[in-house]
Amino acid sequence: MSIETTATDEATVLAQLSGMLRELLEEYGLDDAEITMDTTFHDDLELESVDLVALSGQLREHYGDRVNFATFIAERDLDEIIALTVGELVRYTVASLRATA
Amino acid sequence: MSRIRAGELDVHVQRLTPEVPLDGDAPIVVCVHGLLTDSLASYYFTLGPAFAERGLDVLMYDLRGHGRTTRPESGYHLERFVDDLVAVLDASDVTRPVHVVGNSFGASVAFGLAAARPDRVASVVVIEGEPPTGEWTRHMADGLADAKTRLAIDEVIGWIADNHGAHTARLSKAANKILQTTTIAEDIPRSATIAADLSAVRCPVFAVFGGDSGLSAQVPHFETHLESCRCVVLPDQGHSVLVERTAEVIELIFGWVRDTARTQARVR
Repeated sequence: MSIETTATDEATVLAQLSGMLRELLEEYGLDDAEITMDTTFHDDLELESVDLVALSGQLREHYGDRVNFATFIAERDLDEIIALTVGELVRYTVASLRATA
Repeated sequence: MSRIRAGELDVHVQRLTPEVPLDGDAPIVVCVHGLLTDSLASYYFTLGPAFAERGLDVLMYDLRGHGRTTRPESGYHLERFVDDLVAVLDASDVTRPVHVVGNSFGASVAFGLAAARPDRVASVVVIEGEPPTGEWTRHMADGLADAKTRLAIDEVIGWIADNHGAHTARLSKAANKILQTTTIAEDIPRSATIAADLSAVRCPVFAVFGGDSGLSAQVPHFETHLESCRCVVLPDQGHSVLVERTAEVIELIFGWVRDTARTQARVR
């Protein structure tokens, strides 16, 4: 089995998402927070739903139309959005990038 | 991030443009959220994507002091929110009249825009809201003063956490922050108002109410005074119509915007 070296492996996407999240968190003075696959947006990072919307804008800037966060969100209700982990978004992003590679 | 400069503010906006525009010329829907605990996320996670999917051009933004838009210390009179909305439309190159959807306080902003700038408004869609009349300023004064006093008390936040969950408690803390650090509770009751006969509102109005919220008592007044008005009351439903009855709200408002846009296109 070969090691993934493209931008579509989970570790790379996690690093990219962490960078975007730090930018968002900077405004709240929380940019030193540890971010892993198990980190939850709401309970761990204390992000509100509007911050997730802002994150979607950054995803669009970074990946273009290849990652459709609005669709990802539309399939979930508010409780599921609140419980969302960074890992779930990483896996969705990786799957979207691979599907459009 | 999607920010635009509108007057003195950096405004967080999100626009969802349709891949296939309805009738070849997508009607533009601008969504205005409610006060204190609310943000554009209420639309982004409900009717926004569904409307874009069906061919509408959807513009959402965070009100001054809310979400990720600048929070000035003062200047929270309704007319300032209306000016911001005009600035957002201008900055987004929206020149056609728009369908303004307003939830709760957002509906008062939508009515305010319809009264001040009828040239910019194709229709007003009210979700559980009131026109900015003198009576409205009294409701707002009472509600805001009450919230400002209660939410500052730790025991109240604790009670909210116990009875409504940690998430609601956190939203209440955020609401307390804007109440304590800005003049919003004092400014809104001193807003410019429109006459109670609603004669300032000439565009078509569609209103959706929850039967249990109290605001549905306005239906006879709307139907008597507004030139063109349709009201729907959802039984067994309180104030949170947008979040708790999303599927019905999408159907109702989409149908209204589509039909109103088609009628207006024929008249033009």
